[in-house]
Amino acid sequence: MVKTLFVRNLKTIYKPWIIFSAILTMYITVIIGMFDPALGESLNQMMESMPQLFSAFGMNAPGSTLLDFMANYLYGFLLICLPLILELIAVNILMVRYVDRGSMAWLLSSPNSRTKICLTQALTLVVSVVLQMGYVVAISMLYAQIQFLDKLDGGKFLILNLGLLGLHLFLSGLCFLGSCLFSEARYALGFGGGLSILFILIQMLSQVGEDMEFLKYLTPMTLFDPKAIAAGNGELWMTAVLYLGGILLYGLGIMIFSKKDLSL
Amino acid sequence: MSKTMIEVKDLTCDYGHGRGVFHLSFAIEEGEVFGFLGPNGAGKTTTIRQLMGFVRPDSGTVRILGMDCFADASKTQKEVGYLPGELALMEDMSGIGFLRMMAGIRNMKDTTRMEELIQLFSLDAGQKIRRMSKGTKQKVGLVCALMHSPKILLLDEPTSGLDPLMQNRFAQVILKEKEKGTTVLLSSHLFEETERVCERVAILRAGRLVATEPMQKLHRRVYQLTFSSEQQAVLARDCWQDGEVSHNVWTVSLKKEQSLQKLLQTALAYGVCDLREKQETLEEMFLHFYGEEQKNG
Repeated sequence: MVKTLFVRNLKTIYKPWIIFSAILTMYITVIIGMFDPALGESLNQMMESMPQLFSAFGMNAPGSTLLDFMANYLYGFLLICLPLILELIAVNILMVRYVDRGSMAWLLSSPNSRTKICLTQALTLVVSVVLQMGYVVAISMLYAQIQFLDKLDGGKFLILNLGLLGLHLFLSGLCFLGSCLFSEARYALGFGGGLSILFILIQMLSQVGEDMEFLKYLTPMTLFDPKAIAAGNGELWMTAVLYLGGILLYGLGIMIFSKKDLSL
Repeated sequence: MSKTMIEVKDLTCDYGHGRGVFHLSFAIEEGEVFGFLGPNGAGKTTTIRQLMGFVRPDSGTVRILGMDCFADASKTQKEVGYLPGELALMEDMSGIGFLRMMAGIRNMKDTTRMEELIQLFSLDAGQKIRRMSKGTKQKVGLVCALMHSPKILLLDEPTSGLDPLMQNRFAQVILKEKEKGTTVLLSSHLFEETERVCERVAILRAGRLVATEPMQKLHRRVYQLTFSSEQQAVLARDCWQDGEVSHNVWTVSLKKEQSLQKLLQTALAYGVCDLREKQETLEEMFLHFYGEEQKNG
């Protein structure tokens, strides 16, 4: 890793990071604040009136505990999409822009190998993702504690977030791979962003009805099942596959970037 | 025998549609200031990118200090100072911020040379790069290429955007580097630019090496003499028996053995009113050197 470059990277991505953390804070606190067994009833009624729309967004069968509630309303969609946007923005800042504009030439003209430069950028992205998830855990636990003293099952909640982190390492790895594969901004971002959106859409379709359920085998999103984890029936191997996949995607990206011809 | 610093052998890098470089071979010895001359799109930048290890050659080899420029890029780049043709600086930073970052990435602890160069180019490094003019950005790039006192300089159109005063300053810096024994490869599409600093020049056209010549051989003395009338001009030309007349201007080039004094004496005899040295375009130079060779051959 190149320390000076890492510090520079942090300076370039902290602003979007803070903006997205603020947006997440808003959603997390609003949704946790909505948890109320009585209100849950009316939400259930609303859901029964249009079950397919709700289930498309992963919001069905709301459980009775605060964790079930959060898994349903936060981890089904919001905590997947919002950090994904930040990941795309970070990939754009850390890789795509440098290659597309040609500034990468300066970084590569230093006596550091391409692998080392690329690894530094990948590491910055991973650190940003880990910190974002850490922040989500901290703010959720804090707010839940303030609002509903000791109602949140801390152990299960952490496992839930380890799963979410796995998913985001996988998705950010996909975005990173795109930035290593393509030199032009629209393809570099389109690869990771496009595939991620496609995976999310496939998952939404698979949740609509039983005829479409087979689609869940076509998307890695299935490997993160927040409701099952909240209910205590999460499969450890699914989370492990996400982490492993993430590492592979990052590694593949670095390998490709180190060997390819760059038009700088 | 001096050491070969840069060696390009039978390099081909085809971008299609006749763009790229084809079967390029040349070598640059230690301490040499080597010019890369050619019109836009001749393949100068392509060759320099190869030397930086950004692109792999389709065939042939590109070596710096005997090391392969692509495979051993991190080693060759330790010795190289590079100025890209397209600057693409990090616009969000200040000049000094960028230079400090690059020093950090280069693991360079001593910044005396950097400050010296900032002074030398009178660079206002505190501004944001986004707000800088083309010339100021160019200065930032130059400081960055030179600040770690590399053994080899690869400069792609180093004076573009610089005013004449700064072009002069740049020439002085390069001549100083030459005294220190630095090897320099600089590209340009202007003959006059390379004339001041280079000892040897390679001329590229359409991706092929047209010639590699010592500077003196390329230097031609071409003068334009203005007379009071076309008649006078024709008379002077007929007396000298060389050159061409259009209106009242007689254009003549001096051969090595001919002296300017004699030319002036002839011109004076016919009442010359004005004398200027003619700046040759690259195409004119090509025509002069290689058109003639073709005629003879």
